[in-house]
Amino acid sequence: MTGGDDLTGGYRGAGPVPGDVDLDRVWLGVAAQVWRRQPGPAERAATRLLRSPGLARALVTTPSLLLGWVIATVVILLTGVGVTLGTGTPWVALLAPGVAAAGIAYAYGPGIDPAWELSQSMAVSDRMVLLVRALAVFGLNAALGLAASAASGAAAAVTFGWLVPMTAVCALALAAATVTRSPNVGVAAGSAGWVIAILAGQAAEGRFTAAITDSLFVLPYLAFAAGCAAVVLFATRIPRGTP
Amino acid sequence: MNVELTGLTRKFGRTQAVAGVTLEAGPGVFGLLGPNGAGKTSLLRMMATVLPPTSGTLRLLGRDPGGYGPRREIRRRLGYLPQTLGYYPGFTVYDFVEYFALLKDMPPGQVPRAVATAIEQVGLGDKARVKLRTLSGGMLRRAGIAQAIVNRPELLLLDEPTAGLDPEQRVAFRALLREFGQRATVVVSTHLVEDVAAACSEVSLMDSGRLVFHGTPGELIARGEGHGVGDAPLERGYSAVLAAARS
Repeated sequence: MTGGDDLTGGYRGAGPVPGDVDLDRVWLGVAAQVWRRQPGPAERAATRLLRSPGLARALVTTPSLLLGWVIATVVILLTGVGVTLGTGTPWVALLAPGVAAAGIAYAYGPGIDPAWELSQSMAVSDRMVLLVRALAVFGLNAALGLAASAASGAAAAVTFGWLVPMTAVCALALAAATVTRSPNVGVAAGSAGWVIAILAGQAAEGRFTAAITDSLFVLPYLAFAAGCAAVVLFATRIPRGTP
Repeated sequence: MNVELTGLTRKFGRTQAVAGVTLEAGPGVFGLLGPNGAGKTSLLRMMATVLPPTSGTLRLLGRDPGGYGPRREIRRRLGYLPQTLGYYPGFTVYDFVEYFALLKDMPPGQVPRAVATAIEQVGLGDKARVKLRTLSGGMLRRAGIAQAIVNRPELLLLDEPTAGLDPEQRVAFRALLREFGQRATVVVSTHLVEDVAAACSEVSLMDSGRLVFHGTPGELIARGEGHGVGDAPLERGYSAVLAAARS
């Protein structure tokens, strides 16, 4: 370790240099460029979209979540198919937004994320990272589902009854968290939004499952998610002149 | 004052880890000594805004970390090295430090140079592109220190920072501490009294969650005069204060 006075070690003795050149500073500039890993296209796109390099890096890195996410998706899908076929009532689909959000939340904590303790002390909130990850996962799933539905009608029920509502709930949570600068408010807003959607379905159709089975909800869900994305973009914009 | 603690307590179930600690600290290197289980790590975690206090008031860098906005501002200006450093094995040293620089909300344009500076300061320049899984324990500790100092924090909290460092690295690390202590508040939790003797301008001693001594290393040494337990003067002071607190 160095005290910061001579960062280049023996480099100074390598040859004659002009007296007014700060070799430490030059070396650090070179080292920063040589050591740096250039962000990939996905991270660059996420940085532009989220206007936060920290959130973008956390989103594309997800070092501890990938396996958990894959396992959770498979388990929920299989359970959903089984319960729905067995009872005729899509309970899992109805509860899926909450179940999935809880699954992601529980996949992010001490014992699972090795750097959890450090993440807890960071300015970019771990809950905000969580919301962005959830929205990205559900958004991608919904996009894939929409594409699959266009090709085959069989995927439409899962897409419109499950993936699109989950994306909308996550978008609402992220928008509320961004505007209020409080991830807790975001989580509460997302949960409340989903309960209201279910109750609205009950009021209009006389059945709880309308929120995930009635095709009339699809366009409002998509419009809502797009609106929330606009709110997030507006709230996280970087003012001109910010370094 | 960068750190103002008033009657701070923390309970885990029925266990009281921190029992009514009142403390103020300005710029300088501040040593937190105590035996295992004294409450040093819990106190440091509260100062790092990782653990909320059960009761009492906590002000850091002139702000109350209870609110989201002030807490975020504190965290931008905070450096923290936990006792057990968790890391992603597939990251390189540079990736690791850069990841946390970004999560500290540093301006993106400043990040590459700040990361390079921090890595050089801990002497890991030749390992910058090496994956963390291949590093020794001492090197991992230095990578952890690099992420803690990358944002030039005004409040630097280090929990057992010299664990795993060889003697030469520890000497260099103490120089780094003294440099940071000239403009920032550096709190070092340790049970190695030689670290305190070499680097700290103030020292506190904890036992059973309570603060049983606060003063300069010289004052702690004075407490140990005539006390037989311990090889070094500071160790004798440490033992004398603990014995008095427990009697």
